[in-house]
Amino acid sequence: MTHATTADTAASRGQARRGGWRLAARCLAAVLALIGLVLAAGGIWLIALDGSWYYAPAGLGLVLVAVLLWRQEMAALQLYLLVWLATVAWAFWEVGTDWWAQVPRLVAPTVILLAMLVMLPALGRRRAPARGTAQ
Amino acid sequence: MSINPVTGNRLTGRAAACGTAALLALALAPPELLAQDASPAGDGTQAQEPAAPDAPAAARTPPGDRAARDRAPRPQPDVGRDWPFYGGGADAQRFSPLDQITPDNVAGLERAFVYRTGDMPSEAAEGKYAAETTPLKIGDALVMCSAKNVLISIDAATGEENWRYDTGVPDEAIPYSASCRGVSAYTAPELPADAPCKSRVIEGTIDAKLVAVDLADGTPCEGFGENGMVDLWTDIGERVPGWYAVTAPPAVVRGVIVTGAQVKDGQAEDAPSGVIRGFDAVTGEFLWAWDLGNPDNADGPPEGEVYTRGTPNMWATAAADEELGYVYLPMGNSSVDYYGSNRSEAENRWATSLVALDVLTGEPVWHFQTVRHDVWDYDLGSQPTLLDYPGPDGTPVPALLLPSKQGDLYILDRETGAPLTPVGEVEAPTTGDVEPEFIAESQPVSEWHVLREPELTGRDMWGFTPIDQLWCRIRFRLAEYAGYLTPPSAERRWIQYPGYNGGSDWGSVAVDTQRGVIVANYNDVPNFNRLIPREEADARGLRPINDKRPGAQGGTNAEGAGDAQAGAPYAIDVNAGWRNDVTGIPCTSPPYGGIRAIDLETGETLWDEPLGTARRNGPFGLPSGLPMKIGTPNNGGSVITQSGLVFIGAATDNLFRAIDIDTGETLWSDVLPAGGQANPITYEVDGTQYVLIAATGHHFMETPTGDYIVAYKLPDR
Repeated sequence: MTHATTADTAASRGQARRGGWRLAARCLAAVLALIGLVLAAGGIWLIALDGSWYYAPAGLGLVLVAVLLWRQEMAALQLYLLVWLATVAWAFWEVGTDWWAQVPRLVAPTVILLAMLVMLPALGRRRAPARGTAQ
Repeated sequence: MSINPVTGNRLTGRAAACGTAALLALALAPPELLAQDASPAGDGTQAQEPAAPDAPAAARTPPGDRAARDRAPRPQPDVGRDWPFYGGGADAQRFSPLDQITPDNVAGLERAFVYRTGDMPSEAAEGKYAAETTPLKIGDALVMCSAKNVLISIDAATGEENWRYDTGVPDEAIPYSASCRGVSAYTAPELPADAPCKSRVIEGTIDAKLVAVDLADGTPCEGFGENGMVDLWTDIGERVPGWYAVTAPPAVVRGVIVTGAQVKDGQAEDAPSGVIRGFDAVTGEFLWAWDLGNPDNADGPPEGEVYTRGTPNMWATAAADEELGYVYLPMGNSSVDYYGSNRSEAENRWATSLVALDVLTGEPVWHFQTVRHDVWDYDLGSQPTLLDYPGPDGTPVPALLLPSKQGDLYILDRETGAPLTPVGEVEAPTTGDVEPEFIAESQPVSEWHVLREPELTGRDMWGFTPIDQLWCRIRFRLAEYAGYLTPPSAERRWIQYPGYNGGSDWGSVAVDTQRGVIVANYNDVPNFNRLIPREEADARGLRPINDKRPGAQGGTNAEGAGDAQAGAPYAIDVNAGWRNDVTGIPCTSPPYGGIRAIDLETGETLWDEPLGTARRNGPFGLPSGLPMKIGTPNNGGSVITQSGLVFIGAATDNLFRAIDIDTGETLWSDVLPAGGQANPITYEVDGTQYVLIAATGHHFMETPTGDYIVAYKLPDR
């Protein structure tokens, strides 16, 4: 009885913790998916207009990040790091140290990077039980 | 490709800006074409005419009959203790020999007084105020006009009011803006020393009156027109308030007042005339008219007729040449700015030209056209500056410096109009779906100095996030753009860069002939335009100012943002500053304006800095408080002092600042109580140097409206 109660409490505590992180991760994933879809669609349009090739892959990358984040996989952060590094490289290639010109290129992607880092505790939870099952 | 050669250049390497992509495409004209263009009568159209002075064909009334008074050159007051002309001295160099305030002590500058004119917008005039006031300083007094033309004299040391005279301008007379850039002063040599109005203040009003009052007490000059007033609506046609308005100080040359008027842009082909008229400075008597559409109207049109309608007008400030007896008119474009196929030959010949007019006869002597077949509203907005400049054989000759809205700086011989600095030809794209036959195939370009920045590329698109930036990049690719001479289009938007605010606008440039330095502030902002087919314009309810119907739009909004251009097949829609249509944030990256020092001898850039900080700008219209230089749009010029300081407000950050003329470094600044879109002045009273600027704001620049006249001096020892 007592044992069962303790187990229930622990389980519900763990459930709540995981649930909170899951909610946060999924909210961010939804936002990133939306941004990614807009960037991808606009980026494809821009390529069709003979414009920059940055936005479409960056948008698709974000959509993938969003999918991985939804599933709370660590790969979400790893992939986003890639997107962010590629963005920084592209931004400096385009406008160098013109910091005002860097505002649209670097600020929002870096804010997303910080949000992804905050999500760190929410990531990798799915994998651990999976690995456990395999053992 | 390595680090961005375009945008990186814009912040760091403006010195190299002369080598713009646009200029790379420039095909140097063969010498004979250059010579033709340089000829005094070069009318700038493809069909050049022989190099003869701009003399009318018919014999004219001898000047003596029209200007019976003594019209010999008279000595002009000097700038220094006083600021006797809008541009400082008679040469409009905006340079003062004062040197009490120096780069070393300017940091200690403090407010001497703040005077309030009391002229603030009524509810009906809200959002239409841009006073742009620059006072004169004569004797112990400052004399100025307010936004709605109240004439005011205040004590130059204390700011106490001496007198005021309200010209009674109604709100409905406000054209695009309630502006009165300045007044002119004139002392009549033929009047006895104690006669009333011996020295008088002359003002043109936005309800098109020419007003003269006594400098001493503000009493209207009885002998001038009717009780001190001449009605400029005479022979113009139907009185439509706000369509015909004077916003610039009139020029006075040899006792002749010369004025044009602002004809509100974009309303109709059948608009008030751009006629330039001369009046006697003592009696206000009409002396002559220069109606470029009909030279036979020199003595006024025949009974029942009016001056030629819709002709290019002069809203900017002319330069007066007392010695040669000429007035230099920076002419604007025809009333319908963005469509030209139905313009007359005369319009094509004179539009967007600098015209030298003989004030004794009212006849043109020479002219220099800066844009052929102007379809961009590239009115000449700056007051030309008079100076001596080396002629072809190296000997200094009377010259003038002409900045344009396209950003070209020209130096011309004042007697002949011949360029003293190299002028080239640039091939122009004749694309566009509207009137390719009308678009000029080539345009003149200054090969000496241009304020214009390199052509825009996709990389220059901006926003706060990648999403709004992407949207601007898509819009950029969708728009017509083939450099700064891209012709207007109707199917798609076209990019006009620089936009109609310049380059150099009415703030003009300042020139220090001793140091050999020109100081020029400029805008670096594109417009995003589209011609609107008539049917669509009708559906949108775009009507000209004389045909207002209930629910009609146009005529009161930002210039060109839906102007009817009645009589032309297209109306015009200007997105000034190319704001993102979703977020309102500019689609191009900063800077949006700068200030530059140019070597007067070589035309080379000495320094170039963004003008204006980000303190009032931020996302969602919130002020960011950031002190970093961003380079904002600006309106209003600078003043240079002998001690090596440049004073300027102009930017949209509401700062008034002192800049080191040698380095471009800002040494001092003060937060003004409203926008500083006005030309500052400097003067001296009892051995103390003052610097003054009007903080009256500007609706188009989106700075707060005010009625403040703010004076500064060093603390008392």
